[in-house]
Amino acid sequence: MSEIVVDNLTHTFGKGSASPLTVLDGINLKLESGSFNAIVGTSGCGKSTLLKMMAGLFDPSDGQMTLDGEVIQGTDRRRGMVFQQDAVFPWMTVARNVSYGPRLRGASRAEQAEIEEKWIRMVGLTGFEDRWPRELSGGMRKRVDIGRVYANDPDVLLMDEPFGALDAQTKERMQSDLLETWSATRKTVVFVTHDLEEAIFLADKIIVMSARPGRVHHIEEVSLPRPRTNDMRLTDDFLAIKRRLWAMLEH
Amino acid sequence: MDKTETLPRDTIMPLRGLKNRLSGRLVLGAASVATVILAYVWITNLPNNNPALLPPIRDIVGAFFTNVASGNLATALGASLFRVIMGFFIGTSLAVLIGCLIGWYKVAEYLFDPLIEAVRPIPPLAYIPIIIIWFGIGEFSRILIITIACFMVCVVNVIAGMKNVPQVYVDAASTMGATRLQVFRTVAVPAATPFIITGYRIALGAAWTTLVASELIAAQNGLGFLLQEGRRYFLTDQVMMIIVIIGACAFLMDRAFRKIQARLMVWSEARE
Repeated sequence: MSEIVVDNLTHTFGKGSASPLTVLDGINLKLESGSFNAIVGTSGCGKSTLLKMMAGLFDPSDGQMTLDGEVIQGTDRRRGMVFQQDAVFPWMTVARNVSYGPRLRGASRAEQAEIEEKWIRMVGLTGFEDRWPRELSGGMRKRVDIGRVYANDPDVLLMDEPFGALDAQTKERMQSDLLETWSATRKTVVFVTHDLEEAIFLADKIIVMSARPGRVHHIEEVSLPRPRTNDMRLTDDFLAIKRRLWAMLEH
Repeated sequence: MDKTETLPRDTIMPLRGLKNRLSGRLVLGAASVATVILAYVWITNLPNNNPALLPPIRDIVGAFFTNVASGNLATALGASLFRVIMGFFIGTSLAVLIGCLIGWYKVAEYLFDPLIEAVRPIPPLAYIPIIIIWFGIGEFSRILIITIACFMVCVVNVIAGMKNVPQVYVDAASTMGATRLQVFRTVAVPAATPFIITGYRIALGAAWTTLVASELIAAQNGLGFLLQEGRRYFLTDQVMMIIVIIGACAFLMDRAFRKIQARLMVWSEARE
């Protein structure tokens, strides 16, 4: 079980100042355990802010979020996050990066080795264990990042436009691989993106947000069958959803 | 899931051509040093050159052997190296300790940063008179001056390093469950290492600068003392020789430091 409930959440930057800016206004959401959720919206709709709050990186000014009934406050290893920027530690090898979380909690050398082997294989980086991040491409570094978060065994995976900086082909491959890992582990995922195709391809549920202030505009249940394959991207069902959501973002 | 965008290993770090560029650099560097030496030889061989002002190289080499034979050079070098290393070690250790605290913990920053900012523009040599008044002209005073100089230049770099730790690394560690202390130890310190090492290298330069100054003013031995003695007895060849020795020492220590730096920074994109 790892269900996220967002309850009437509002956030205002510079509250009490001369020009407060409300970025999120009355958000209510229920994200089911084990589901893949995407949040889409134009820039400025507060989708990244919402995600960072789920991570506990800062607190909302009003309302609350719960994970399995427990109020989210501060960071916790149960809520892992993959960032938009490159967050792989450049001073650690690929393997050391992947076992970072377990090492924080005093995992033995043998446990670390086991975790490294498993997750480096899962993200397809076998053979690169002892490489420095600077020797890897952007896509490979993202794989390290995702492997590291998975190796830390969180209940929820928060992803903030993780593939935003990658080229189209790498991006598609990373999406398929992410789905494969997700179906093997069934962790709740919240995936922020501005790429509609990415959202439709990945998610069970797409939360469409409107901007200034950020509100939930629409929730789309994606009924495309799983496992998702790349040729689905061009089916009528897929494109119909894309067209509908596109119109909403334009509105 | 074995479909990475795998790169052949040898294309990951293109090293071809690097060797050629390195040797070209070496040739040019050697040529420029050789030109200066040749120009000096030429000038000192001019008929109207005054050897008391510009001693010929053979005299400088002669002074070197005289001082080696008498043991003066070894004694002076030993005394000076001891001061440099002590001052450098104490100064930089304090700088790393205090700099990390100031750069990482707000309370420490609010407490100490104004002090450091106020004191920073004062050249360390300005403390020499007050240190002599308080502690006399003994070994302690000389090491203290070098310590102050090393501390001041190093601490600024350490603080900058801690303040420039990318937020995303801190956030990544926190969301993986790292405590504040663990973030400090496993993220902030390694991320700041390039700055800290630069601080060490600048401190090493500062140590040599202040060493000579402190020995010129108050010392019965050391390289600065030999310089002073050379001036007093018009031993220009000795003065020149000591200048070269100091240059060589500082150069060699910096080189050794670069080696350590390269080893510590294998992970960094910018290792030079």
